[in-house]
Amino acid sequence: MSRRSARKVRDFILNAVTYLSSTVSLAALIAILAFVFGKGSSLLNFDLVVENFESQGFVADFHAGFETCDCVAGIDLPEGSYYSEKWGIALSDSTDLLGKTVVEVDYVHPDSPFAYLHDKGVGTEPIPLRADYDVIRIAFDSYATALSRYGAEAMIASLDANDSIREIEFETKGGGIRGSILTTLVLIGLTLLFALPIGVGAAIYLNEYAAVGRFSKLLRSFIETLTGVPSIIYGLMGLAVFVPLTVKLTGATGGNLLSGAMTLAVILLPVIIRTTEESLKVVPDDFRSASLALGASKTQTTFQVVLPSALPGIMTGVLLAIGRIVGESAALVFAIGTTIKDDVSLTGKSTSLAVHIWAMMTDEPANVELSATIAIIIVVIVVFLNIMIKLITNRYIRKRLGVGA
Amino acid sequence: MKRDENVEGAFRIDGLNLHYGATHALKDVSVEIARNRVTALIGPSGCGKSTFLRTLNRMNDLIPNCRVEGSVYYRENDIYAPGTDVIDLRRRIGMVFQKPNPFPMSVFDNVAYGPRCQGIKDKKTLEDIVMRALRDAALYDEVKDRLRESALSLSGGQQQRLCIARAIAMSPDVILMDEPTSALDPIATAKIEELIVGLRKDYTIVIVTHNMQQAARISDFTAFFLSGELVEYDATDTIFSHPSNPKTEGYITGRFG
Repeated sequence: MSRRSARKVRDFILNAVTYLSSTVSLAALIAILAFVFGKGSSLLNFDLVVENFESQGFVADFHAGFETCDCVAGIDLPEGSYYSEKWGIALSDSTDLLGKTVVEVDYVHPDSPFAYLHDKGVGTEPIPLRADYDVIRIAFDSYATALSRYGAEAMIASLDANDSIREIEFETKGGGIRGSILTTLVLIGLTLLFALPIGVGAAIYLNEYAAVGRFSKLLRSFIETLTGVPSIIYGLMGLAVFVPLTVKLTGATGGNLLSGAMTLAVILLPVIIRTTEESLKVVPDDFRSASLALGASKTQTTFQVVLPSALPGIMTGVLLAIGRIVGESAALVFAIGTTIKDDVSLTGKSTSLAVHIWAMMTDEPANVELSATIAIIIVVIVVFLNIMIKLITNRYIRKRLGVGA
Repeated sequence: MKRDENVEGAFRIDGLNLHYGATHALKDVSVEIARNRVTALIGPSGCGKSTFLRTLNRMNDLIPNCRVEGSVYYRENDIYAPGTDVIDLRRRIGMVFQKPNPFPMSVFDNVAYGPRCQGIKDKKTLEDIVMRALRDAALYDEVKDRLRESALSLSGGQQQRLCIARAIAMSPDVILMDEPTSALDPIATAKIEELIVGLRKDYTIVIVTHNMQQAARISDFTAFFLSGELVEYDATDTIFSHPSNPKTEGYITGRFG
């Protein structure tokens, strides 16, 4: 073979390898997205994002001397809805936000006895049955109890066959992830609040002040090593250090949002120090000399000329950090805990979206659909924050460089 | 700032030696630089003229492994004596660099940067300082409608005059210029030269230049450096018409360099 054709073959093989690898990586990314959207889009709806996770359950009965109503439905009922004129309620088979089969209340007539229920045995507090609630069971005095798993049609038939009920158990709609979304957003803010000043400060020290020598080299390689430590180890550290610390300071009872944010901040420090240092390095020395020659102090030079010039690079670090915060689960299982909560509190138990997925997948049975839905929401949040930060950074760069101004 | 007219020289340099690590960059330089005059430093590349310029406001301090021996007296104070306030020194001795290096901020903020670092916050005072500096740097008319725009949107020549305005805004005694026109086209260069001649009545100017015609055109005194040594220092007319050292003659007639 001539030398020329040998080169051709070598070039062909190398080119083929690069094309193949980019195709494989692209295919893997597309496969992940396809899985997440394919599995998760069925449960994706607005209610999921705004609803509470915890449902409230009631056991109720009628007040003495109630009357069945024989009332005609005042509205057009949706398809698949079964209406009892005798009781004035419409039920249908449905799935809740978690994807479980439930019997959902579609409509309660204003005159229906179900609009005047009482909390059984506890008091006189009225707890009317409302549309959107899920009926778990209706028990009768001398008739088989109507359970939700037999479906809405059977439940309506049981009701029509009776003139009275012993009790009804129902619950408000639950399974929403509003609490976890809010917690995640608060977690992002808090973590950056801890990690940014410390990380940027350390990077400034390393790049602007520290003498080039063995100590700063050691410090740098130490920081590099920290980047590679598995996050579950940080989680253990959070459990051992930050959880007791916050418990002592705030009276929290266990893992909480503050200890989670502190743990994440430690995980992010190496990332932020690295990206900040890189962006400080590319600030031209011309700026430093010009500032010093004008009689500015070293500190003034650093904070008024160098740092503003490095800001776009630091924002890239913030983007990486946000991705890491939203995606972290292993460390947070220890540092925040896995309790899904609806109200965001700094010292109470709560959990982020990623841990919410973890909780759903360790449920029995694992809820893959809902996990995929939460994954979609995580992707949306990350993309949204990315675009916002990019827009702000670009505006800042344009203003300083005068491009298109 | 009040100038003491009784002192003739702005700088008196006495036995100055400078080493970068193992490199002996300035060898036993002694010279006196006149007040309110333009002094040009000429010589081939690597002769130490820029290094010499940077010893005058201690910008060489920023370079690691740089060692200075001898004395540089500025107004009869040795600026290399321990306890010298370098920041205050640089406030009095401004500097313009080879490449225009405005900060990536607005035209106004660039000129106001130095005064702001000195703690001047009053808006009116700052505005007065900036306007005067821009006028003195012959830039005002060109940028008066663009004060809030980024300084990087100006042309190279305008940027360099902005850097001069930035230095003037500190009301220094001395302005050091390190080949200020080498990155500019001939028209922008002519404007800067004109400006330097005009600034001479208010400031002591020391300028490094590669361009001998430029030195002849704008300077009152010329110092010729070669291999870290000060070969000859005299009035510019003398240097260019009757140089006493054959090396100087060789350089200015273009036989080397």
